[in-house]
Amino acid sequence: MVYLNNAATSWPKPSCVNEAVQACLMDTPASQFRGGSAILKKDVEVLCREAMGELLGIAESERIFFTSGATESLNTVLCGLDYGKAGNSILVTQTEHNSVLRPLMNQSALKEHPVKIISCTAIGAVTEELLEQALEEERQDGRQAAALVVNHCSNVTGYVQDMDMISRFAKKNNLCLIVDVSQSAGCIPVYADQWKADAVIFTGHKSLMGMQGSGGFYIREGILLKPLKYGGTGRNSKQLTYEDEDYEYEVGTQNLPGITALLAGVNFVRETGVDMIHKKEMALMEKLYEALEKIPGIQVYGNSKECRGPVMSLNFKGLTASDAAYILESGYGITVRAGLHCSPLIHEAMGTQKNGTIRISISYFTKEKDIQEFLTAAEQIAGSVAGR
Amino acid sequence: MKITGKRPSREKCAESGWFATDYLMDAPIDREFILKLKSLGGFVYLDMLKQPFFKIENNYYMIKGIEGNDYFRIAVHGKHEDELAKLEAFILNCVKE
Repeated sequence: MVYLNNAATSWPKPSCVNEAVQACLMDTPASQFRGGSAILKKDVEVLCREAMGELLGIAESERIFFTSGATESLNTVLCGLDYGKAGNSILVTQTEHNSVLRPLMNQSALKEHPVKIISCTAIGAVTEELLEQALEEERQDGRQAAALVVNHCSNVTGYVQDMDMISRFAKKNNLCLIVDVSQSAGCIPVYADQWKADAVIFTGHKSLMGMQGSGGFYIREGILLKPLKYGGTGRNSKQLTYEDEDYEYEVGTQNLPGITALLAGVNFVRETGVDMIHKKEMALMEKLYEALEKIPGIQVYGNSKECRGPVMSLNFKGLTASDAAYILESGYGITVRAGLHCSPLIHEAMGTQKNGTIRISISYFTKEKDIQEFLTAAEQIAGSVAGR
Repeated sequence: MKITGKRPSREKCAESGWFATDYLMDAPIDREFILKLKSLGGFVYLDMLKQPFFKIENNYYMIKGIEGNDYFRIAVHGKHEDELAKLEAFILNCVKE
């Protein structure tokens, strides 16, 4: 079996992650602030916050909070932020995932704040011109933009946004900058403080090598965020209301095995080095792009020079993405993903809104022979469609 | 050849609006079975592949599978779920012959 669906969930995991989870489940349960763990040991949550802070370039690691993943993080952040007066809008790039789009378009808490989609190019790039244009359109419509949500690395094309430029744009225009690093954290350098990000969203089960059901967000000190959920936190149990807006964001018993896995995964990434991981993955991606360009009947959406994430999209001419993925899985034992990849709007820019694309996504553990097996299958499928 | 079971397809995202079911067979699907389904709609047969792929599609449903595998998929468009029973009857008749 060849697994090329790492943008959904990375697999396999480093052995240290498997071992850490097993040890966690074997140990007596500990719960943050509630006792039960050895007195001299630091809580796993604290260790994980510190490790995440180092990896993502966040000095205030105590402002990192764990959730069940990027979707919960985005719902919490997008619904809890204060966007100012009614009518102020939220700028969102065309590359965003439904975990951004659906909360913004369905949560009643956000009904007073219209969403403005910032166009992207056919490979998913959000340029300064496109940002300025969107802001100008908002001004002309009499709206003030309050926030900007940016997907650092597209989960469809692998395009990595120019965060320095986007950060300058956000600060110049006084926008709250929310960066989704779900696809990039662990495989592409993230510099949250340098980007002056106000909020950063991450998930544990992709390049951070953790488990499904883990993730979190960072919110800069001084940014008011109303929680999405309330409940027991193990602290100050007599306090029933938060009069001073000193909110808590981790409520209920936390996902300790998930956070343990995340800590082990993040430590693996830090020990291996993000630069090393990126270099290894890019060598395989370049091989993929180069070989696919030579196969007639395959359309690739992007190129290795501009798309620097471990994800790419393609289609076989004359075959729907769904059929091609079915052939790959059922005929060759190669797992890829077909469709819109939960990011419907970018497909309008790519011209693939009807049937989507086949997405190939690799990880640090993808081997050259996996890529070769995929390329052999791709050549046979393209040849078969052409010869029918 | 007999149908031994069916289960909802795990693939929910690729064909939005379609409800897919995977049918399990007691033997690998052969060319003869595939050709019997041909009359049901537009027919695609990629027989140059190591394991040929087939697909039959019309406005209401699609059937697809791989020759040599012991399963295939039927996807019915959400508005035409009633077509599934007729289709199943046709296929059962095919496999009995």
